[in-house]
Amino acid sequence: MTRLLALWRKEFLALGRDRHGLAALFAMPVIFILVMTMALHDAFMPGASIDVAYGIVDLDGSDHSRRLAAQLDRNSSFRLQQRSSDPAAARDAIRNGELALVLVVPAGFGERLLLPSGSDGKATEPLTVMLDPALNPALRLAFQSQIGAALGSLRADELTSRAAAQFGLAFTPGRQVRDWPEEIVSVAVQNMRDVRPPSSVQQNVPAWLVFAMFFVVIPVAAIFIVERHCGTLQRLASMGLPPGHLLAGKLLPFFVVNQLQALVMVLVGMLLVPLLGGEALVMPTGGGLLRWWLVAAAVSLCAVAWALLVASLARTIQQATIIGGVGNILMGAVGGIMVPRFMMPAGMQQLAEWSPMAWGLESFHQIMLRQGTLAEVWPGLAKLLAFALVALLLAAWLNQRKTT
Amino acid sequence: MLSVEAVSHTYAGAPQPALCDLSLQVPDGGVYGLLGPNGAGKTSLISAIAGILHPDRGEIRLDGQLLASLRREDARAIALVPQDHAFYPMLTVRENLRFFAGILDFSAAGGRRRIDECLAFARLTQVADQRAEHLSGGLRRRLNLAIGLLGQPRLLLLDEPTVGVDPQSRHFLLESIAALPAAGTSVIYTSHYMEEVQAICRQLAILDQGRVLLAGPLDSLLCHDEAVIEIAGGELPAALCEQHGLAARAPGCYGLSRPDTAALAGLLASLAGAGIGLKRLHYGQQDLEQVFMGLTRRSLRD
Repeated sequence: MTRLLALWRKEFLALGRDRHGLAALFAMPVIFILVMTMALHDAFMPGASIDVAYGIVDLDGSDHSRRLAAQLDRNSSFRLQQRSSDPAAARDAIRNGELALVLVVPAGFGERLLLPSGSDGKATEPLTVMLDPALNPALRLAFQSQIGAALGSLRADELTSRAAAQFGLAFTPGRQVRDWPEEIVSVAVQNMRDVRPPSSVQQNVPAWLVFAMFFVVIPVAAIFIVERHCGTLQRLASMGLPPGHLLAGKLLPFFVVNQLQALVMVLVGMLLVPLLGGEALVMPTGGGLLRWWLVAAAVSLCAVAWALLVASLARTIQQATIIGGVGNILMGAVGGIMVPRFMMPAGMQQLAEWSPMAWGLESFHQIMLRQGTLAEVWPGLAKLLAFALVALLLAAWLNQRKTT
Repeated sequence: MLSVEAVSHTYAGAPQPALCDLSLQVPDGGVYGLLGPNGAGKTSLISAIAGILHPDRGEIRLDGQLLASLRREDARAIALVPQDHAFYPMLTVRENLRFFAGILDFSAAGGRRRIDECLAFARLTQVADQRAEHLSGGLRRRLNLAIGLLGQPRLLLLDEPTVGVDPQSRHFLLESIAALPAAGTSVIYTSHYMEEVQAICRQLAILDQGRVLLAGPLDSLLCHDEAVIEIAGGELPAALCEQHGLAARAPGCYGLSRPDTAALAGLLASLAGAGIGLKRLHYGQQDLEQVFMGLTRRSLRD
């Protein structure tokens, strides 16, 4: 036990004096959490407004064209910035970057609202959308859909109004804007209770925590390679220290470091993100918190074992930085850390199944978003633990081979 | 006594064995020199004695006990001081000693006492709280030695312990090492510096290509019963060589086997009579470098 205590103490002292390693382990993920949570704030919030300005050029000037504009303004996620009757000015506003989209309502729109083009031998001039060519195609489609919805609503209202007048039915006149159909409501399906859908902070805190945990590869490899190059490993072997002790001497300190990372990242999500205008991280309670910690522990074992394997494989610190750093970035990119898995195409989502970071992140989400039970997170935990075991055995074998 | 018996070892993929049926007896209570050119097998032999290389064949015993069994009983019996600075540059001198004391399973109080003794022995007390990475080359060598002495080993293996240090530190290190046998620690010392080995080792072995070329007490290895003369320019007349029994050793260099005083006086008189100048006359004992170069014969190694 004296030997293990000496090894643990040495690792803590060495890590405490490794400013670059500490920055990679703590400062980097905190910055990522803050930046990505704020940057993706709206992307994870259903119904949030889109900060894209649009204008309306009303060449009709009818009651119907005004009602279309009002309907669009009421239900659109886009920001109405100007109304005018000058298409050239609107075109200039797009060129200047003031507007991204402009809806042009043609003259005669109100008159031909219920007349399909050609039905009476005359053409119906279509609604036109002028747009900034750099606009995201998805936003363009969303805007067109919202115009279509507003137009449908207006037509339904007009039909109802005319039918009521023709058949003498009761109809409340004067209401300018009506909801056709009723608003669509999103409900996140939970196992036990209804909570809100995942927020940006709930995606980003576990994601960057998993990423940061795997970055123990940098300090682990740095110390390990110094030990090998300076002949310290040989000296320790000559003192009868088995390679297993050496690995165990690194496993616990970096496991503790990983748990400290988890605590710091959770506190950042709960306390710091709200100060910057984001949503506070909601952590599970009771048994859920215990299951959350089990996932954190499994991710940590996996990360430290991976770090020991990289440190055993690499001959120089540069090699370790490349193998470990690039490996982590690839695992993170594939595993849904940088781009959430649900945004990936199906093929990439299947590829993500092979990333240990995805196993950890999915297990965290299972508990935080779907109140997952131990049985439900077990497949992810089992994969993490199996990876850790294989990496540790390989590292032990490599070290045994190198020291003899 | 350390007894190395017919030890052989070939590294995976190597064409030649690093150790080839090597046998050696190292007596207790002294500083034993181990010499050899690069690739001679010194580090492999040291590694085998230190327990970090398991030879393919042969066995090594200390006072009759196999090393593996000795290590199980007493992990501190043999200590290695590698050529590199085998400690943690980011830790202080005291933290390094404390770490290795922990690895050697010292109790807290016992470890503290032993650390203080080693700091005093290596004259590191003044820099005990400095980080190792900020020490000079000489101080680092002293820390390397101090760590090796922590466990008060019966046998200390020193692999080129004075590389890259200034003359003052080298002198201090050599004095300290020479004093170790009196404190109960035998030493095996490898170095490329012949004058160091000659200064502190009473016994030595010269290795090459994994074999022992020569081993024994320093005095007997240096003893030489052939007088060697070197003349200033040209060659000696054949008649003069024949008259005095001189044998050519190299251009301008001749050997005279077991000469007595009269024979030497006669030779010098003949040379003076022939007007031949004498550049060098050497008789009785050669220096270690001559022995080494004569045995290993090759001027340049990898």
